[in-house]
Amino acid sequence: MKILFVVVIVLYAASVALQFAGAAFKKDKLLKASWLVFVAAFAVQSVFFVARGVAAKRLPLSNQFEFSFAFAWGVALMLIILRSRLKADWLSVAAMPMALLILTYAALQPMEIRELMPALRSAWFGVHIGSAVLSYASFVIAGSIGLRYVLMEKKHREEDQKALRQMDYLSYRLVAFGFLFLTIVILSGAIWAEQAWSAFWTWDPKEVWALITWIIYAVYLHLRLRKKHSGVKMAWFLIIAVPVVFFTFAGVNTLLPGLHSYG
Amino acid sequence: MKKIYNFLRSMRFGIFLLILVALCCVAGSLIPQEREAAWYVQQYGATHVTILALQLNNIYKSWYFILITALLCLNLTLCSVIRIRSVVKAAKSEAQRAAGMRDTMLLSPDELDTLREHLLKKRCESEQIGEVTVYRKRGYGRYGSFLLHLSILLVVLFGALTLYTPKVTDMSCLPGESLHLEDGTEIAVKDFQIEDESGRIDYQSTVMVVLPGGKASGWQTVKVNYPLSCGRYKIYQNTYATAGSVTVTNLATGGQDDILLTELVMLSLDGMHGIWFEALYPDIIMEPDGTATLVTATAGRYPNPVYEILVADGTQFSPMFAFPGDEIEAGGLRFHFNEPVEYPGLRIKKVSVLAQDLLIAAFVLMTLALFITFFLPPVVVKVDGEGCAVGGPKPESMRMELEALFPDAPEAAPEAASAKEQEEERE
Ligand code: HEM
Repeated sequence: MKILFVVVIVLYAASVALQFAGAAFKKDKLLKASWLVFVAAFAVQSVFFVARGVAAKRLPLSNQFEFSFAFAWGVALMLIILRSRLKADWLSVAAMPMALLILTYAALQPMEIRELMPALRSAWFGVHIGSAVLSYASFVIAGSIGLRYVLMEKKHREEDQKALRQMDYLSYRLVAFGFLFLTIVILSGAIWAEQAWSAFWTWDPKEVWALITWIIYAVYLHLRLRKKHSGVKMAWFLIIAVPVVFFTFAGVNTLLPGLHSYG
Repeated sequence: MKKIYNFLRSMRFGIFLLILVALCCVAGSLIPQEREAAWYVQQYGATHVTILALQLNNIYKSWYFILITALLCLNLTLCSVIRIRSVVKAAKSEAQRAAGMRDTMLLSPDELDTLREHLLKKRCESEQIGEVTVYRKRGYGRYGSFLLHLSILLVVLFGALTLYTPKVTDMSCLPGESLHLEDGTEIAVKDFQIEDESGRIDYQSTVMVVLPGGKASGWQTVKVNYPLSCGRYKIYQNTYATAGSVTVTNLATGGQDDILLTELVMLSLDGMHGIWFEALYPDIIMEPDGTATLVTATAGRYPNPVYEILVADGTQFSPMFAFPGDEIEAGGLRFHFNEPVEYPGLRIKKVSVLAQDLLIAAFVLMTLALFITFFLPPVVVKVDGEGCAVGGPKPESMRMELEALFPDAPEAAPEAASAKEQEEERE
């Protein structure tokens, strides 16, 4: 199992390296190779994911290792879907390193399979955490598009205008998708908490940070509707929101005490 | 007056309030909440004065947090009401207004045919208005964001109701015994187990609730994630503990009694001779040199339970360990130590079932409304002999779709009037 994980991480690192090399030397072959390696990494990662689920006899989403592993998988999945549907090769530059970064975080977590604690044995478990993976992954990709937007906008080229508009729209769609799923995370979590602990909401730090994240993206959605704010400002907004997503996902468990600190 | 009202219902004020809520949440998650005052003194030194004065130790119940939430509700109410009026009004004249839009995309006759086909394939309904055709679908999509804000309002209201009205008490109950609540409700516990059949930790009790009117739940299993509901009561598996068990025989009369030991207690006939029960430990580790270490961690099971007792003989006390199966005679009594008994700590919640159901209905509405808002926007496209324009309250998706369909079509300048109209619809 461990070896498979190492293979996954090495493949992702290789694809990111190829990506940067391809971009630096303007070699399309390298970029193509990078993408192939990335897809291969994703395939191996999926195998690992399934194998772990089989070995643990449950959804492999219960501790920090499993969740961050799934988070990276979600980012890769979303990138692959977006790239194949939109022919937007440029997505890779920013989103690939994100997948690698999250996976590196996973590598730092204890990896052994442990028995699920009783509170986690619930039908809501899959809904709650699966939605979190989708939601956070889309916020992270939206943030990486924002980064690309800011870099491209700096050049002030007339021919980029359409691409910029498309990027702005795509990141908005991703936020909308992520926001829907974050809402599902919070609401399913509330229903689950009522069954497990008797209250829908306990102001536990993890809940509170999910709410903060939710509010941040609600503000984004409102500001964008007003159309008074330029694309760059909104792109910066998305970039700055990513660390908040990471904090909600990882920082809260390690830095703030609460019921969600499962390990 | 009008100005204040406009401000109170504005999106800007709404965003401002949301940001305030977020800031309170940041403070509330960084500063541990609802501890004893002394704890803040010890933890924060002189700063504790500020923390207590600003109610940062109990921020979610502070007057300003409640005020912010109340203002948010007011703002949501006003903006929902205003919006539903303008949305309904705009819907009525939508086709007419769309017909009057200037083209934003110029298309060749072939492209126009493709476009018309595309729109019909997408099941748009077409309406001929003079020279132009207006294609429309999913008119209901315009109500998405109204429903969304309404549902947020409901979630906040019902959420507050279900958060602050239930009466919650934690009680423990030994197997075979019952709890009697003030209103006459009885909660009986038949048995309790820590592990399921496969040996996995899975606390479960068999519990029955009998309401004052006589209505009863029947014996049901209560475990984590599976509370028991009966009337307005919900019973949750919360904690558990382990009690010692001893069978005491009076050597003179032969009388017998089973006693559960949960706290420091003396078992004696005359108050001078007998045993003191001190504590029960899950395990003991004997070192080769004869010293013993008692294991105190109570997570999970009691693999090798140990009773710590004092045998009292008048003014003499001798400490002893006893294990299940051991027998000791003292003060005319025989003590037979049994396997310890595990018992549940139950959480008992009395709640308005209606409020909970309404809250969950609001959750469902909110999810649906979000889906409609983002993924089922209304489509309004006006097509004439030269090109097309996208209208309606949410034109962006359709615009991007057409742009992808005709990437090379020249753009006409967007019409200032229609942009303004949309802006008005929003406000
Ligand atoms: C409490 C949290 C809130 C959330 C999560 C929220 C969410 C949203 C979302 C997702 C949209 C985008 C809808 C779309 O794309 O059409 C939206 C639009 C809007 N929101 Fe909010 N909102 C909140 C509070 C408020 C408040 C307090 C106001 C105050 C007036 C407000 C006013 C508006 C307005 C005017 C629109 C534009 C509506 C439209 O396009 O029809 N929202 N809101």
